[in-house]
Amino acid sequence: MSTQQQQIAFEKLVRPHFDRLYRLAWRLTGQKAEAEDLFQELLIKAYGKLDDLVKIDEPGSWLSRIMYNLFIDERRRFARRRMHTVEEGEMSGDGLDGLPGSDNPAWNHERLERMQKLDSALSALSDEHRMIVLLHDTEGYKLTEIQELIGIPVGTVKSRLHRARARLREILAADGTFS
Amino acid sequence: MQNKDMDKQDTEILALLKDYPMPQAPTGFYDQALVRATHEGSRRQRNRWLMTGFGGAVAAGLVLWMVGGFFLTAPDLPVADPAIPSITMTLEEPRTINLVFASAERLDSAMLTVRLPSGVEMSGFPGQREVTWQTSLNAGKNFLPLKLIATSPVGGEVYATLTHDNRGRTFRLTVDVS
Repeated sequence: MSTQQQQIAFEKLVRPHFDRLYRLAWRLTGQKAEAEDLFQELLIKAYGKLDDLVKIDEPGSWLSRIMYNLFIDERRRFARRRMHTVEEGEMSGDGLDGLPGSDNPAWNHERLERMQKLDSALSALSDEHRMIVLLHDTEGYKLTEIQELIGIPVGTVKSRLHRARARLREILAADGTFS
Repeated sequence: MQNKDMDKQDTEILALLKDYPMPQAPTGFYDQALVRATHEGSRRQRNRWLMTGFGGAVAAGLVLWMVGGFFLTAPDLPVADPAIPSITMTLEEPRTINLVFASAERLDSAMLTVRLPSGVEMSGFPGQREVTWQTSLNAGKNFLPLKLIATSPVGGEVYATLTHDNRGRTFRLTVDVS
């Protein structure tokens, strides 16, 4: 294959998965800049493995696993190099920027407040618990997909999910989030 | 707590989680990422950070206000600061400083370069005198923890230069070693 043919083949294989991969990067890192960096690193790595990629039946899962492994391998680095926003306190802020609104300002305010509390509660979870609860309950990953991605038994995924939700319930109940 | 209450709360949590927002990729990001991957992949040019790893978690270290609220509104660099902040470090003992950048607006693709004197190293970058990476700043105050280690009793000055669209500022920190 010529270089141009390689580029075309690569794009054809990876582009259909971009949105899901971008969201995964976000869920893993929790920060826009890191998510974009992780996404970029994935593409660079995947392009270097184009020979393998063309033989894969499910490129989406394969790409997700590479992204997850990249994140785990370099988690310390990702955690270290963040430039934080001083005002962010307990919440990242970025994740709430795109919160769709309604015509009712009071409802919007209440919703934003609840989201901020959720954001804060999520940040209190361990990386493993936060990741699993977001992938399952927010992104809609199946338990088996998480098992495949993270490489732990379904039973462990389930118990972590259960513990993560219990911890969220505990935190949110303490700050009066529930109606 | 009653099981009924817990069930209700679980339902609320699930509803909140389903509603948890997710920003979309910026326009053009996918195309740019593809181009970088296919054209520059082997050169490992990354979208954001050019150098990797920064020392240490945020400790209760010294906070240096490197940039005032006027950040990057002035046309050129550097501006000599008559009152250069200083810290005293103990030889071979890591110390985390927090660089604080106040930006009047969000800045994408700003470049930050940290230059170190010969007797001071950045944790994770042994022997490197200069580290550059690309980053984005939010409007408001942004901070970056840097873990420094004095490897000789000489000390010197640390320079942090932030540039964006051909504008920038250089800030200095004097390091004394005891």
